[in-house]
Amino acid sequence: MSSSAIEADTSNLVCQLDNVQGIVDALSTVRWKRHQDALVEVSEHGIVWIVEETGCLQAKVYLQKELFIRYEYTAQGRPRFGLSLGLFVDCLNTFSVPGHSSTIEIRYPGPDMQLLIKSADSLDDCIYAEIRTRIPETISWDYNFEPAGSTPLSFTVKSAALKEAIDDLEWPGSSIQIILKPVPPSVTFRGEGHGDLQIDFMYYANTDLLIAFHCDHQVSYRYKYKFLRATTSNIPSSVIKDNRGSKLTIGRGGMLKVQHLVSVARPSTSHQHIDSAGYQQPSRIAYIEFFVKPEEDEETVND
Amino acid sequence: MKFKAFLTDNGVSLLDRRFLPALEKMGKICHLFLTRDHAFFLHNLLSTDGIQSIAQFRKQALFDDYRISSQNEDRIAFAFDISLLLRAVRSSVSICSEFGAAPAPANRLQIKLVKKLPPNCTQPMPFLTFETKGYKSAVIQDVPISKPLSRAQVLELQATLDAAQDLPRTLVQVPDLNRLQNFVDRMKHVGDLLNVTISKYGNLHLQISTTLITLGAEFRKLLVVGDKAQAPSEDRDLSAQTRSERAIAMGDAQSVQVSVRHFSKSLQCHLAKPDCAFYGIAPQGACLTVIFQFFVPGTRLTDKSISLHCRLPVLDPGSS
Repeated sequence: MSSSAIEADTSNLVCQLDNVQGIVDALSTVRWKRHQDALVEVSEHGIVWIVEETGCLQAKVYLQKELFIRYEYTAQGRPRFGLSLGLFVDCLNTFSVPGHSSTIEIRYPGPDMQLLIKSADSLDDCIYAEIRTRIPETISWDYNFEPAGSTPLSFTVKSAALKEAIDDLEWPGSSIQIILKPVPPSVTFRGEGHGDLQIDFMYYANTDLLIAFHCDHQVSYRYKYKFLRATTSNIPSSVIKDNRGSKLTIGRGGMLKVQHLVSVARPSTSHQHIDSAGYQQPSRIAYIEFFVKPEEDEETVND
Repeated sequence: MKFKAFLTDNGVSLLDRRFLPALEKMGKICHLFLTRDHAFFLHNLLSTDGIQSIAQFRKQALFDDYRISSQNEDRIAFAFDISLLLRAVRSSVSICSEFGAAPAPANRLQIKLVKKLPPNCTQPMPFLTFETKGYKSAVIQDVPISKPLSRAQVLELQATLDAAQDLPRTLVQVPDLNRLQNFVDRMKHVGDLLNVTISKYGNLHLQISTTLITLGAEFRKLLVVGDKAQAPSEDRDLSAQTRSERAIAMGDAQSVQVSVRHFSKSLQCHLAKPDCAFYGIAPQGACLTVIFQFFVPGTRLTDKSISLHCRLPVLDPGSS
């Protein structure tokens, strides 16, 4: 660890983590295409990754400092920098050795504003990387998600079931309508395109799938299929294995928020008691949020 | 031109479970070069690009009752598709093992070179024929092969083979082949060109550099075979890159650039289950060589009847 004396001078973020695969999983969740740029925001609370597409879809990954075994942030404010998400994930992947728990150290900024990563396991073997960062582009919309009314419009569904439903809706394609109804309490996904497909989650009939449900008046919004699909297409297998739920909330104007929880627990604990791992280490969860803008009315007519 | 031999049980297991699966990863088409004493499986020896692999077996390692004759000093070479050979060997094995309970000597697997007239053809074609005698049945499988190489081509093959025997001056032992392969396979996503530096101190340093990223791995204190030197003590506190640069400047290391895909392919040879592997850079940085070592089962002695090594073409002479 002391071998990087040269780099230590410039870095005001030094953090170490012991579950590389967990972070790879969390970041892969928001990687809906191969080449994707991310905006990274560093603060005393942790690191936030923001990815967006054409002003209609935005995703955030929150890596709170509790996920790291060491997290030292010495600067003021919240520096932001741009980075290729794909490159970072591919690079991080080389640090993850199946069957080994590997510890890595991340530093920012390097002498040339790079992001520096290196393995911190052994003195004789070392993997290292330097990734060039960019001056951040401004985000085209940093949406403050606002609740639609006094009662939140939300439901929590098993992540596996949500992914399956959205995968199935590929066939009608293009535009998907999500309808929340208080009586009977239910959520409907409806696709119209090359044909019709409707998937209903009935709250009382499927309490094991639809875990929670809040809705006091009927709402219905349409979302582009490709954006909806991006929210679930790369859910890591650990989320499905851990039998986790995803929370969907509809905010003002039909803005859809999709939240997933990805475990970044140490591999040793997550191997044995998958279900209890989350409870034992409640803080070792990466929070993932997607924001999807609804389709405009005239667009739906044209479609 | 005649070739006929019986594959021994040991030969079958070497080919079926170890060498053919490994060689298949090197490339679909391979040359089989048979001499009075040896059988060679060769990849890319007659072409200038691509990774060369040379698997050499003493005839006793694979065969029994080995008979070869040709007008070219009893040397025969031809090209074939490895996957077809592997299928023929596998199916012969399954026929043999079906009757495995029967006394062994009856289930012999004979291979021979034949010319046959295939259906719908007017010209006879060469085949490597596998003949398996089971308990009640006999199965013959014909693996199509190329026309045997001409005398000139065989000479060229022999000459390249002789030239490929040059050993690098310094070889370092790979610590953990599986782990290294895992790493390099993931590295492939990041870039195409890999810089490999090998020092007399026992350092193996791999690095990919593109405009956006530098990703590398350094393994130190590896076992060195050949020229070695003591690492300078001030080396410890340096970064991997600086360490390599200094070693090169002092003439204690060489560096070459190879394709990541070639490097990863060379690691696939672990399918042949070698006992250890060594990397070295050929004199003048002509190529990156990897040598796999096989022990006599149950010992730490080199099995001299089997050898396997690969030569990776160098894309840029580097700083040798």
